[in-house]
Amino acid sequence: MGRYIAKRCLYILVVFAILTFLLFSLYRLMPANRAYTDARAELQALKNSLSASERETKFDELYLKYQRLYGTDTDDTVILYLRWLGLYPFYDGKCNGIFQGNFGFSYEYNAPVIEVIGPHLRNSMLIGLVSEIFILAITIPLGIKCAVRKNTPFDRGVQAFSLIGFSTPSFIIYILFILLFSSILGWFPVSGMKTPGSDYQGMKKVLDTLWHIALPTICLIFSGLAYNIRITRASMLDALGLDCIRTARAKGLSRKAVIYSHAWRNALIPLVSVFVGSFFSIIGGAIFMESMFGFKGMGLLLFSSTKTADYDLIMFIQVIFVFIGLVANLVIDLCYGIVDPRVRISK
Amino acid sequence: MSKKTKKKENIFRTLARWFVRVFFGLKYEEKWFLKKDKNDADEDRVPDDSEFIVSPAKQAFHNYLERKFAVVAFLVVILMFLIVFIVPLFMTKYSDSYTEVTLKNLPPNLTMMSVPSELKGDIKMIDSYGPFSVGLSNSGKVYIWGCKKLGASGMDVNIPDEYKNIPMAMVAAGVDHVIAIGEDGHIYGWGSDRFGQYGRSENSVTSPTIEAMPEEIYENGVDVAHVKKLTCGYQATAILMDDGTLYVWGNKQTYSNMDFFIGRTDIYDIDFTLNYIVALDMKQNGIVTGTRGLYDVARNKIGQKGVKMFEFLGDRKIVEITATTSSICLLLDDGTIALTGDFVTDSIEVPTLAQGEKFVDIKAGNYHYTGVTNLGNVYSFGGDHYYQAEAPSNLTGVAKVFTGSFQSYAVDANGDFIDAWGFRGFPLGSDDVGANILERIIAGGRITMTVGAVAVIIEILIGVTLGCISGYYGGWVDILIMRIAEVFSSLPTIPIMLILTSLIAQMSMTTNQRLFMIMVVLGILGWPGFASITRAQILVARESEYVTAAQAMGVREGRIAFKHILPNIISVILVSMTLSFAAAMQTETGLSFLGFGVNYPQPSWGNMLTKASNATAAKNFWWQWVFTSGILIFVGVCINTIGDTIRDVLDPQYGNEK
Repeated sequence: MGRYIAKRCLYILVVFAILTFLLFSLYRLMPANRAYTDARAELQALKNSLSASERETKFDELYLKYQRLYGTDTDDTVILYLRWLGLYPFYDGKCNGIFQGNFGFSYEYNAPVIEVIGPHLRNSMLIGLVSEIFILAITIPLGIKCAVRKNTPFDRGVQAFSLIGFSTPSFIIYILFILLFSSILGWFPVSGMKTPGSDYQGMKKVLDTLWHIALPTICLIFSGLAYNIRITRASMLDALGLDCIRTARAKGLSRKAVIYSHAWRNALIPLVSVFVGSFFSIIGGAIFMESMFGFKGMGLLLFSSTKTADYDLIMFIQVIFVFIGLVANLVIDLCYGIVDPRVRISK
Repeated sequence: MSKKTKKKENIFRTLARWFVRVFFGLKYEEKWFLKKDKNDADEDRVPDDSEFIVSPAKQAFHNYLERKFAVVAFLVVILMFLIVFIVPLFMTKYSDSYTEVTLKNLPPNLTMMSVPSELKGDIKMIDSYGPFSVGLSNSGKVYIWGCKKLGASGMDVNIPDEYKNIPMAMVAAGVDHVIAIGEDGHIYGWGSDRFGQYGRSENSVTSPTIEAMPEEIYENGVDVAHVKKLTCGYQATAILMDDGTLYVWGNKQTYSNMDFFIGRTDIYDIDFTLNYIVALDMKQNGIVTGTRGLYDVARNKIGQKGVKMFEFLGDRKIVEITATTSSICLLLDDGTIALTGDFVTDSIEVPTLAQGEKFVDIKAGNYHYTGVTNLGNVYSFGGDHYYQAEAPSNLTGVAKVFTGSFQSYAVDANGDFIDAWGFRGFPLGSDDVGANILERIIAGGRITMTVGAVAVIIEILIGVTLGCISGYYGGWVDILIMRIAEVFSSLPTIPIMLILTSLIAQMSMTTNQRLFMIMVVLGILGWPGFASITRAQILVARESEYVTAAQAMGVREGRIAFKHILPNIISVILVSMTLSFAAAMQTETGLSFLGFGVNYPQPSWGNMLTKASNATAAKNFWWQWVFTSGILIFVGVCINTIGDTIRDVLDPQYGNEK
């Protein structure tokens, strides 16, 4: 088991390196030149006493200075990438990259990228965890019930709901919910994380935050229901058709034992990847929910930074997403090992 | 079958053959595709077993037909495809970037040209500047039709109850207000007064950008017998007296030259374009705007080049002016007309009148003019976006014409309604720039469905090819391809799309290239699903007897993978294709909704919903998102139903469950 994890981690590292390099090369295509902008800005700040040619040379000087500072004094993508990782020295002979703890600097927020991302990542994980728990708590019993009572009116009703829900883009669900609960009923605030202008402390602050994130969470749960019900029902149906279930029934086991112990365990195997995947995808940006509710999560951060072209930030968010994706795959594989004894992952 | 007798295979033929095999069975495939050659030696051989066996796909096809809902869904999707690809060919007036400021945010309404029946026999005058029209009967009763609840301000322009029984002498309508002069000379206004359109609210008196209604006429009214003209502009009104005294008030931000006209007593005629007050002073030899060089070239026809106004006029005088939003029509004292200003590109040319025929009455809408001549002929010309400048040729007995903003009405000498032509209204409302939502849904559907379809095709091309290779060859090729697929599928789709499309946005591309790039990116991110499905199917198929047989006969490996195995797994790909199509459409609408996919002015079902993310707009302008999301969900449900049903009917256990 330990060996398998080590192997997978190594694999993740390799893929991670390849992917980040590809992304990094992509970013190089973007027409952003920080050294140029900063040099221009500093030149502007100088008094206008210089003549045109003096300004020219002064600019070249400043430009070179900034290029060296940011490590962009070369066109070699590999070197730039290694510098970004912190494996290749800058002009001053020091390495200053991810391995040294420098994840870049966000110009929009005027703070190191890591500080900007921290709270957003925390928010996303929190709301992802909460809504995933609710989604599972609702969809698993419902999916099982539908599969067991197949083709009853109850099953058909749930099926119709999940078909419509599955075919509805999530942002339309959010529009409807905002309209219903915020605009018409007025139960929840339309957007934001706290009451504007408020400065609550202690318990009041917690309650205020809860009140603000209630609707986003409900929306997230609701939009996750349809797909998960479909999948749960389908895989439970497959499981109920297995020979072992017939055997269990023939043995005279109780209905409960057959469904929850025998069938459900078999149904869980294909479901693991769906459940784990959906949790990680919320962390990786429930982008519609966040941008519509102004919820400060990873999705909103990515959304706003792509709008403002805050490259260091985008790059690092992207790295996190790739990382999350790969870790999710690992977690899914490990979960398979837990729920499916046939999977001999240690081989 | 020998190679020589066989017709040359090409890609279309192969695809058609597969289609036939999937839906009709091997028998027909042989009949239609493989036995073309009449001289074939075994023409009259005994029918083989394939004739008596229903192929699984054929069975599935029959099962599919049993499901009514799925059949309806299939027909609906086909119909949708036809609509979005064929109807745009007939939307000749449609353009992506069409905007119309006077028709913004209008609810669904088709009554813009419906003159109330009580008014039809007794029309004194009709006026309109925007989405609603106001009419006055000879007995002094006011009627309003069209969009009475205005989207932009939520304002009700119906005549207030307290004014209903007051006989009116004249009415005029602006874009969101109505001004009427009573028989007693009092001036009544209703509708919006946010920009001082009527009355003397505190805001209108104090605000520097508003000219309030003059106090004297507000208090005392005017001498109704000597009112020469009452006319309304965008959010402004002018009353001109016989002696040349002019009262003008309203929104000065729209009409920046309003100050120039306040307190004038030498005005002969006046009207409003969209941004300027235009007038004729007592000299009657040119347009007065207070701005030098504005409207000082004139011409006879829309297509002609203009000449300087004073040269054009010579010693002729202008007797009447009437203005659309951007042009002015001048009626001269010799009975001819002249034009000045700009015309929209789809304008209908001024008719050439017969010898001795001349216009006696000419009225202007927002883009078009309608006139009646001394011979009783009615002509319309100018902007024709809503067919408002295409006058019926069979009108007789017309004495007077009236124009709404986008409509024309012909009336006989008794005030009886004869005919109307022009704009009825928006069946599904208008959006925030005044474009027809129905047209945009159709044009947007074309883009959304094209993006979805092309993306799926790209996914299939990449996914199926790699899946075939991977599944058939196995070994390190398989491992490599599956690892790549795993990496691709572990990328979170929407965030990656966001970044890639913003990268695309940085490059300089035409809108169509951009659209294509979006399809490509969608396709490239979506292929792993197809690859793994194909691979899994191939792994199963590889163990089957027919493959073993082919191998034993020494058929090349690649040929086995693509020609023997692939046709047999195509049904599974079909299921995946439908579901992926729905998914690709959803991704595209999502991206466009966020502003990263298809951008305005190109419509897509996604970017038409962007405005609805604002709760207030979503509540007030419900028609701007309800129809679009409705159709989006509807098409999604249909496509997913098709996919689900195909999967169900392909399941060999399908028949057993009942």
